[in-house]
Amino acid sequence: MTFRRLMMTPIFFFILLFFSPVVSFGGTPTESVKDTTDKIIAIVSDPVLKTPEKKEEKARLIRAAVDERFNWKEMSRRTLARHWAKRTDQEKKEFIDLFGKLLERTYLERVEGYSGEKVLYINEVVDGKYGIVSVKIVTEKDTEISVRYKVKKKGENWLVYDISIEGVSLINNYRKQFNSIIVRSSYKELVGKLREKVGK
Amino acid sequence: MKKFDLELAVGFFLIIGIGCLGYLSVKLGGMDFLGSQGYELEAFFSNSGGLKSGSAVVIAGVDVGRVKGVILDNYEARVSMDIPHDLKIQEDAIVSIKTRGLIGEKYVEITPGGSEEILKPGGRIRETQSPIDLEELISNYVFGKI
Repeated sequence: MTFRRLMMTPIFFFILLFFSPVVSFGGTPTESVKDTTDKIIAIVSDPVLKTPEKKEEKARLIRAAVDERFNWKEMSRRTLARHWAKRTDQEKKEFIDLFGKLLERTYLERVEGYSGEKVLYINEVVDGKYGIVSVKIVTEKDTEISVRYKVKKKGENWLVYDISIEGVSLINNYRKQFNSIIVRSSYKELVGKLREKVGK
Repeated sequence: MKKFDLELAVGFFLIIGIGCLGYLSVKLGGMDFLGSQGYELEAFFSNSGGLKSGSAVVIAGVDVGRVKGVILDNYEARVSMDIPHDLKIQEDAIVSIKTRGLIGEKYVEITPGGSEEILKPGGRIRETQSPIDLEELISNYVFGKI
């Protein structure tokens, strides 16, 4: 009896291993988000990079880590929504660049202000090529901020295409703003405004 | 003969009155006798914020459809909406539940997307945004301060 049970255990584990959802190179959505988050936390807590002279290098490193995980094209397409199809390839390229820089400008300072907040991975939902990773950020004052990363599979990787903070979607926010600017004036005006904001 | 005319007139008047009453009750009750004229889309929300069937579905502030039903499905709110046939909703559209004014009634707003993929009848809008819970925000703010 004991012998049989001993024999069964490895077989059981083998079967489990065999049938478990294949962990591909990209890993699960949570692993992907965690990987990038850990990378960024490592950069912002690195004492070597804390000096003012290294500020630019730090920003560059953070941007590189974010670039790996964010699907800028998908994000830009979703923000411009129905105005996206009307743009030429050149304009699309320019917009992707500007939008990335806008987010960088808006959020870099907050990321750099990191002071030991804890990141808890609450839940993950996968539905085909889409996934949602729910995260709670706990500040030192014990305030909880719920963040949801919406990811889409591209090749082997799960890439972020939207972030909801406390239930407010980043893409929806910009989509409405950009749409109202384009409808009121023109796409050129929007690009001008973005340039102004980014160039400052 | 004269008396008969009067009775006829009253009869007609009554029938027209009842007809009007029937029409009004159907209109006000939001009933659909001929069935819906559109197709159905659904969306899942973590919180429906008290949305009711019959609430408006709005794009750019224009009423385009109605909420058909709000039911609990796996502890999430499943909202089904009736959308007119000629209105195409893209796969990356975002639906959010909003409040008219500060404490007004709830309605559903669709922000159109830009995807070439159009949702088929019975499809699901993936991107949703639940209503902002003011109370929760305030409590977060208040307790966060301590």
